[in-house]
Amino acid sequence: MKNKVMQTTPDLSRRDFIKTSAAMGAATLASGPSRMFAAGSDKIRIAVIGCGGRGTYDTTNCLNAAENVELVAMGDLFADRLERCRRQLTEKLGDKVKVTNETCFAGWDAHKKVLDCDVDLVILTEPPGFRPSHLRAAVEAGKHVFMEKPVAVDPVGVRSVIESSQLADRKNLTIVGGTQSRRMAHLVEGMKRIHNGDIGQIVSGQCVRIGGGMLTWSEQTRQRQPGWSDMEWQLRRWLFMTWLSGDFIVEMHIHNLDRMNWAMGAHPVQCIGMGGRQVRTGPEYGNCYDHFAVEYEYPGGVRIEYMGSQIDKVTYRQDNRVIGTKGKAYTDSGNLIIEGDKPFKYDGPSPSPVIKQHADQIEAIRNGRHLNEGVRIAESTLTCIMGRMSAYTGRALKWDWAMNASKLDLTPPKYEFGDLPMRPVAIPGKTPLV
Amino acid sequence: MNKRLSRREFVKAAAAASLVPALTSRLHAAGSGAVKVGLIGCGGRGTGAATQALMGVDKSVKLWAMADLFRDKLDVSYDMLSKGAKGRYDRVDFDGLADQMEVPEERKFVGFDAFHKLLGSGVDMVILSTPPHFRAEHFEAAVQAGKHVFMEKPVAVDPAGIRKVIAAAKLAKQKGLSVVAGTQRRHQLHYLEIIKRIHNGAIGEIVAAQCYWNSGGSSLTGEKPEGMSDMEWQVRRWYYFCWICGDHIVEQHVHNIDIMNWALQAHPVQCMGMGGREVRKGGNIWDHFAIEFEYPGGVRVLSMCRQIPGCSERVSERIVGTKGFAYIDSATGYIKGENPYEPPGSPNPYVQEHIDLIKSIREGNALNEGVQVAQSTMNAIMGRMSAYTGRALKWDWAMNASKLDLTPPKYEFGDLPVAPVPMPGKTPLV
Repeated sequence: MKNKVMQTTPDLSRRDFIKTSAAMGAATLASGPSRMFAAGSDKIRIAVIGCGGRGTYDTTNCLNAAENVELVAMGDLFADRLERCRRQLTEKLGDKVKVTNETCFAGWDAHKKVLDCDVDLVILTEPPGFRPSHLRAAVEAGKHVFMEKPVAVDPVGVRSVIESSQLADRKNLTIVGGTQSRRMAHLVEGMKRIHNGDIGQIVSGQCVRIGGGMLTWSEQTRQRQPGWSDMEWQLRRWLFMTWLSGDFIVEMHIHNLDRMNWAMGAHPVQCIGMGGRQVRTGPEYGNCYDHFAVEYEYPGGVRIEYMGSQIDKVTYRQDNRVIGTKGKAYTDSGNLIIEGDKPFKYDGPSPSPVIKQHADQIEAIRNGRHLNEGVRIAESTLTCIMGRMSAYTGRALKWDWAMNASKLDLTPPKYEFGDLPMRPVAIPGKTPLV
Repeated sequence: MNKRLSRREFVKAAAAASLVPALTSRLHAAGSGAVKVGLIGCGGRGTGAATQALMGVDKSVKLWAMADLFRDKLDVSYDMLSKGAKGRYDRVDFDGLADQMEVPEERKFVGFDAFHKLLGSGVDMVILSTPPHFRAEHFEAAVQAGKHVFMEKPVAVDPAGIRKVIAAAKLAKQKGLSVVAGTQRRHQLHYLEIIKRIHNGAIGEIVAAQCYWNSGGSSLTGEKPEGMSDMEWQVRRWYYFCWICGDHIVEQHVHNIDIMNWALQAHPVQCMGMGGREVRKGGNIWDHFAIEFEYPGGVRVLSMCRQIPGCSERVSERIVGTKGFAYIDSATGYIKGENPYEPPGSPNPYVQEHIDLIKSIREGNALNEGVQVAQSTMNAIMGRMSAYTGRALKWDWAMNASKLDLTPPKYEFGDLPVAPVPMPGKTPLV
């Protein structure tokens, strides 16, 4: 018996495109990729927007993923972060880094200035709260995009990412999302077997990621500096601010939940979640929770358990598992094991997935091949967001409502270094479902 | 293994017994007449359980003695039982039961040793319905005194208490005493019918399950009255203190966890839990838990419980097999898949459990749910311990090696500091 894999993404794209295409200006539809490539090894000019640790990492991997790739522009809100990133990249990668003082931009409009440069591909690695608006600007400017996960922090952002991804299709632009599990060779092979029915029909699953409290993250910013506005303090501590990171269920555990969506070949139908902020309670940890437990229900009534926490000195654990009527599959980041009627253990090669994701995109750009992961990663992001919303409010909720009707938009009133009261920590039963 | 099998057979016997319609005539045929009942713990649940014991079978079941830590609680209960009530006590209306009450002043016992005095007052059977902390000691004493027992869930708050209950349950078996627990789903017709079919393979091999008690909850409100001791305040507001209540995962969610053990015919091998206290104030119990229990064969069961007002509610169980799944809650249930099934409605299980108990006493066919309810309680306790500490843990360790004992230094109305609210990663696993 073959497991029916639901291809939700194309349907969703078509359905939503009807709604969104009217909103798209004719001008933006008209401008295609900034440059057409002859097949082969034409030079690819890249830029990075968001020069933190992840931006430095992704840019390094991208420059190393193929020949003839050059970094030509950089942007960040903070000049100090930009300079550090530029110095590190120059030291590591030498003449692949072609940026000049004239192509390095700091400030709120840095991303616009980067997009005005002659670049083919931009790497979007700012805090997730900025991703939807930066993606839209990049696609409208005709750039190919590599964007880190997660791609939004709220349903309004998810809808924006889906619209931009559909626009990218119209403009023959590629989009790759940084959920590198999708390029882990053992998982690619394992998921193929799951989708072929090797464990029968999936009836249950678990997705667990119990890790440490991240208490030493960005230690230099743990103490708020006297000159920092609310906005700067929150940006420097973005990992723990829901409006910037989405909370850790979104920011980090999207990897694990994305693997569940992958195995199921679908996104959840509804969820019920709980969670709280039991241990990591200092003001330097913003308004994020430290534990979540969410039950996701997928099509056919399949209930998947997710448990995640960031608390120090507990029993750490990370595993993904799907249960079928004829076996079970362990789909962890390190292993792929199938037990049951058709046992299997992956022992093939495991090329670096974080290099491959860039290599795939560069190849697609050079060969004019369609590659757009925008809607898929937006769906995985919403999977996490809906779990967080359910836990924050204590309310069970449905995917269709979250995707189409939720008005939750965590964007601050203004992007400027000024006052920005911290949103209170969510209280289930009191925090409204918006 | 033999012991487990024999327990299972008891359950089957109970199931069969529940389905016999002409119960009272059979009882009279086998009958041994009056059953003198002693009530230990005269709060709301104790009063409800006494009501259901008295009205379940016939008028030869008598309330013979009452005991509570507090006289005022005992008096309210006595008054309610005499006069009757509507819409209280688990949806059972009842008229006054004065004609089944023979509780003179000298058989009303008050204080920390009230249970002991009651056991010497000539009762045949006791209802143990104090706050959970006291259950293990009271059960042990009741069995030693040779009494049949109805005991409310949960039956302990820590592994030390569980071990005491299991030892006493085994002694009860040797003595031929009946022990029924207040996990009333075990006596509820639609549960019995669905679980029987699961055991017969209707959903194939069980590969996963879920159980939930997500409902409203409350905080400890009000200050301790002037002049009242810590001990009195905590026992009167027992729900909010872990040492007396066991926390809501134990006190309430044990009902649903018990169904997992029943369906899977096993207890978990290990568990990993999380939770916290986002809303609740006062005392030291939490307001939400999520636990993954792993059963033999690697079957993982998700348990979620929450007591926070204003949240989505869900109280039910779901068992997933290779050929279908079963859904059950306190009102309804069904099996879907290769062998679909919809059960008939159930008579009131809070009454049925007493009918089953008194019938087993009269027929000399002892029903003993002591180990079964101790194991389900232990499930809940180990889930709580895992969540409180953040540590994954194994059943064998919790059952045999854990030294956790929440008993206060002294049972007396004096000072008793409140233990801090647990912090995962900081609260030690004991």
